[in-house]
Amino acid sequence: MKKNYGFKMFTVIALVMAMLVSIVGCSSSQNDTKKDDKENVSNEQPKDSNKKSDVTIELFQFKLEIAKALDEAVAEYMEENPNVKINVQSIGEGYSVQLKAKMQSGKEPTIFNVGGPSDVNDWSYKLEDLSDQPWVQHAAVGTLGGVTIDDKVYGLPYSVEGYGFVYNKAMFEAADVDVSAIKDFATLEAAVKELDGKIKSGELKEQFPDLEAVFELPAKETWLTGQHTTNIALSPELGSALNAFNAKKIDYKYSDQLKKIVDLQANYSSDADNKQKLCAVDNTTSVENGIAIGRVAMVQQGNWIYPSVNNVDQEIAQQLDILPIPLEGVIEDSIPIGVPMYWTVNVDASDEQKKAAKDFLNWLYQSEKGKEIIVNEFFFIPPFTNYEGLEAKDCLSRAVQRYTNEEKTMPWVFMGYPSGWCMDIMGTSIQKYLAGVQDWDEAIEYCKEQWEELAKDNAEN
Amino acid sequence: MKKSKKIFWLFLAPSGISFLLVVIIPMFLGIYYSFTDWNGISEKINFVGFTNYIKIFTKDPGFRDAFIFTVKYVVVEVIIVNVAGFLLALLVTKKLRVSNFLKSTFFLPNLVGGLLLGFIWQFIFTKGFESIADNLGWAFFDGWLSTPQTGFWGLIIVCSWQSIGYMMLIYVAGLQSIPQDVWEAGSIDGATGFKKFRYITLPLIVPAITIGIFMNISGAFKVFDQNLALTNGGPHNSTQMLTLNLYNTAYTYNELGVAQAKAIIFLVIVGIITFTQLYFTKKKEVEM
Repeated sequence: MKKNYGFKMFTVIALVMAMLVSIVGCSSSQNDTKKDDKENVSNEQPKDSNKKSDVTIELFQFKLEIAKALDEAVAEYMEENPNVKINVQSIGEGYSVQLKAKMQSGKEPTIFNVGGPSDVNDWSYKLEDLSDQPWVQHAAVGTLGGVTIDDKVYGLPYSVEGYGFVYNKAMFEAADVDVSAIKDFATLEAAVKELDGKIKSGELKEQFPDLEAVFELPAKETWLTGQHTTNIALSPELGSALNAFNAKKIDYKYSDQLKKIVDLQANYSSDADNKQKLCAVDNTTSVENGIAIGRVAMVQQGNWIYPSVNNVDQEIAQQLDILPIPLEGVIEDSIPIGVPMYWTVNVDASDEQKKAAKDFLNWLYQSEKGKEIIVNEFFFIPPFTNYEGLEAKDCLSRAVQRYTNEEKTMPWVFMGYPSGWCMDIMGTSIQKYLAGVQDWDEAIEYCKEQWEELAKDNAEN
Repeated sequence: MKKSKKIFWLFLAPSGISFLLVVIIPMFLGIYYSFTDWNGISEKINFVGFTNYIKIFTKDPGFRDAFIFTVKYVVVEVIIVNVAGFLLALLVTKKLRVSNFLKSTFFLPNLVGGLLLGFIWQFIFTKGFESIADNLGWAFFDGWLSTPQTGFWGLIIVCSWQSIGYMMLIYVAGLQSIPQDVWEAGSIDGATGFKKFRYITLPLIVPAITIGIFMNISGAFKVFDQNLALTNGGPHNSTQMLTLNLYNTAYTYNELGVAQAKAIIFLVIVGIITFTQLYFTKKKEVEM
């Protein structure tokens, strides 16, 4: 009995020891990797000192649409430069959350993305000065404004994007509505009314059996209403994203005109009789299940929807063009153009990593091969002026370029809105207006108050 | 005696250390951050005292609305899930030939992840219901998730559908632990079906009810994925639950300090409610 007890004791202690060892082992090995990471990031020397030329960089980016093409581009680059290894992670929605988590976990990426001035402000202590990079002098006018602080450039623009009312030419032609006559809000409204009348009378039934309304307004997507739609009214008021970022308050001078834009889209949508339902309409419903299948004739979107539409129906994709969103009596012929995101380099990376990162970005945007990838694989409108002979291939990008060449553009000021204001305050207020919970003026008043509140918080930080 | 005490601590050590590392320490860190103005990014962290807490109670109607919405949701959800779970448990413990099949079928939704469920049901509510409404003209199925009411009931439907099976299993275990002879004795004493249920079954499964309600309350307060995937707080933030409000504060508004303070308040509230519930239902438990 006693012997037995001793044996039991032995097994128990052995087991516990084993557990403890494994726990300690786990945690210490974790510490080791952490240390390695830190060394990689902060020390000049990479882990393997005998293979000095090898450098590994982490690329953490947000545009899911280019994920595959980017992987291929990176593979090509690594083939040309065998001493560089680039790990790509593409995130998409929730990028900023993931980026924060990544930075806090200590596994800091070498290349990451920031949006506009407020992002730059938040991350300023992590950004490497890129002013000496060769691409800076080729950047198109206005594309570096959001990432320039005290004449220092901190980011490489992704691409140029523009949005407006994307419409299906064929439908307007079939309805005998002359698009070239649309010059301002009044003529747009008239054209929309005419088309709407013909849809309702069934005149277009034969040619476009799925067509049910002129517009689709995905009010569920608060970024679309809160950022893009409001930009039309706030761009003339604020002038630039930087001004928006620094604005302590806004007057919302053109809120009445903005109301007309929202109303136009809501009143001629498929849920015009019950506008509350627009609050549950999402992006997919307006693009893949909207304009791409010929269910609606017009949506407020940008050139970025081309690949999605093209995937659904190539014929319809060829028929798309962009009309300005007219702010009545103020600016009625321009489309908002901006840079969706910027590439930045982590200032805390090792010198070798930083060099590799800069070299890669330079290759991607400035080498002949890279330029081709940017235009033909990523479907980007290049934010640089030295892309001679490389024209955008899809009709929406060409439309954006047309407006750029005619200088009929306005800046994206929403990049400088206070964090959370556009989506959580403005976007939801438009929902409340559509649902009839709040009238327009109340909604605008509330949004103005909240702007002041949030801008104050930003200043405090 | 001394030896056994040592063994006691040795056995406790593995889980004790993990608990300390992943629960206790983060909790204290969280309490610390709730007194700062950290935005989640910057290196500057300033101590601001109770400012965050004051802000939540005085200047944050969104938090109050989310709290009211969550409480409403918890009450309805706990009632539905427990009653339905219990009824299903009664059904599958009746000696039917399909009992086992039913048991696994009812449990199945529990195995699907919350995000996935949210997106699938979003499709059902917005597209599936819409086509029913269009084809049959039933206004009831029209415009789901576009009003606060349908958003609320949508959440209730999805989450109940998911967790009823789990509660059912707990009640099945409770019912099966009741020895047959008690019922037999009851029958001999002349108790009818309902009386047997009321005076034998019910008192003897109170432990299961305690666990069921406890798990359900704490779980329902913490619902996040389904909320995010199904409505994402919409329309106009009317279906935003506490956890989603917290998440938005931290990551949309970049106010990590305020979000932490909300998390602490949340912890205290859920703690008080669940412990009160435990205290009262435990009192009802009877010893066999």
